Amino acid sequence: MQKVGMTTTIPVEVVYAAGCIPVDLNNIFITHEDPRGLVEEAETAGYPRNLCAWIKGLYSTTLQNKDIKTIVAVTQGDCSNTHALMETLEMAGIRVIPFAFPFDRDYDLLKLQIEKLMDALGTTWDEVYRVKARLDQIRAKVQELDRLTWQGDRVKGWDNHLFQVSCSDFDGNPDAFEQRIDAYLAELPQKEPIKADLRIAYIGVPPIVDDLYDYLEERGARVVFNEVQRQFVMPFGIDDLVEQYRTYSYPYGIFYRLEDISREVEKRQVDGIIHYAQSFCYRQIEDMIVRQKLRKYPILTLEGDKPSKLDARTRMRLDAFVEMLR
Amino acid sequence: MICGIDLGSRSVKVALMAPDGSLTFHKFDTVSFYRQHGRMVEGQLQVDLAALGLGVPEKVVATGYGRQTINLKGAEVIPELKAHVLGAVHQTGLTDFTLLDLGGQDSKVVLVSRGKMVDFQTNDKCAASTGRYLENMAAVLDIDLAELSRHYRNPVDLSSTCAIFGETELIGKVVEGHPVANLAAGVNYTIFKRIKPMLHKLLTDTIVFTGGVAHNQALVKILEQEMQVPVVVPEYPQYNGAIGCCVAGS
Repeated sequence: MQKVGMTTTIPVEVVYAAGCIPVDLNNIFITHEDPRGLVEEAETAGYPRNLCAWIKGLYSTTLQNKDIKTIVAVTQGDCSNTHALMETLEMAGIRVIPFAFPFDRDYDLLKLQIEKLMDALGTTWDEVYRVKARLDQIRAKVQELDRLTWQGDRVKGWDNHLFQVSCSDFDGNPDAFEQRIDAYLAELPQKEPIKADLRIAYIGVPPIVDDLYDYLEERGARVVFNEVQRQFVMPFGIDDLVEQYRTYSYPYGIFYRLEDISREVEKRQVDGIIHYAQSFCYRQIEDMIVRQKLRKYPILTLEGDKPSKLDARTRMRLDAFVEMLR
Repeated sequence: MICGIDLGSRSVKVALMAPDGSLTFHKFDTVSFYRQHGRMVEGQLQVDLAALGLGVPEKVVATGYGRQTINLKGAEVIPELKAHVLGAVHQTGLTDFTLLDLGGQDSKVVLVSRGKMVDFQTNDKCAASTGRYLENMAAVLDIDLAELSRHYRNPVDLSSTCAIFGETELIGKVVEGHPVANLAAGVNYTIFKRIKPMLHKLLTDTIVFTGGVAHNQALVKILEQEMQVPVVVPEYPQYNGAIGCCVAGS
């Protein structure tokens, strides 16, 4: 089966319905044995140093995985640097299918985009809905894991992050992914409860560092809400596929995202919020709005650059934040 | 006696608090402190405090940048900003203020309300508004830090984007023939420009200014003029974190 790369979450049902294997390039970049090496490779090729590491990682990841000859690139609703990413990949002989989430969440425009994607890959609405029904079964299990994260005390923040973020492409194999989530849920009752008295919400794009969740838990604070990751699970219970991707908040404006964030942080009774923004990302600017709209919560803004562990300075800031919440 | 240790990037500051609350201070160069007086034992830094002339304290409380990478054996460690808040409250007797701490590589602004930290900002990824930057710039001007800290009038306009490129820019201004006083004022102003957004976010009606850079009188003047609030520099600004450690341990 043909592999189709994707630069962020897209209607993955279409890719599966067309008989292709979706590959979320972000996931294979960040789980690569040397993700920093991939960033450096893109810089050697000519990508600017002062540009988000994710874009550079996606570039090198696509070129290294020779079996990915087609990618779906989100040109609106994610990152405008994707335009140049598309162009440089096209130069390298990759077929690029553009996909745009309309900024105003217009139903008809979104439907048109999905249909264009269906035409480009070759599938029908019947097939797409058949896949959606199957994926929704798996999504329901990940939603249960998320519920257990904030209503129980055994799901680690990292596991919540990982299972949810994997719902962008279901690791290219929904059946195997379902087995993993089943096994995880089955083992959960035997796990040691996490001893952490502080409840943290994590908002913003998924972190480029992988030890944030464990570091917080070591200090008695645990993440009970992963905003964008949860969106990848499509936890809306909507039958209409277009409406599902219209409700999905990540690609739309910050005010729409804040409606979801406000609801969830209230429901999950968090003590503080970590707003993560990637270095050189336009979303850093939105921190101003986040701080104003979520004024009643203590907020720590973290900035991540290259894939790595938390640096000493960020750890100092996290220590201070946890101390402040106590 | 309680021993508070602030493991800074440039110097290690030690405060000793006697049972009557009186304080004595010691300062060591960070690298020689680690090299000459410390050794790693089972992943922890063991320091012979008696050999350093610090006696045998009943309790050691440590903080600072170093604590992120080095666990000081036998010491209770507290978060850095907590130490600074405790120190500032202890030294000034104030409970509601904006704490500005400028150290060797750090710029920190903390909002303190009823004696507790309620919000904070720190520099990130860059040390262009810190003591190390001032040292470098003073060296370029061939003056000492005391001289640098005298000037705040008629500042030469310098960009504040990079501590190292800043040196080249400053040399360019020297070539243009500006007087040293104006150049020094320009250097002091770049510090202010860098921390201004952080201060604005967390400003109250008093700034308590700590850290080694608080010895810079010109910067104190600039802060008062620009922020329009009184700036309080405690008696021992550089030992503030170490004093906070003593307070935490007492």
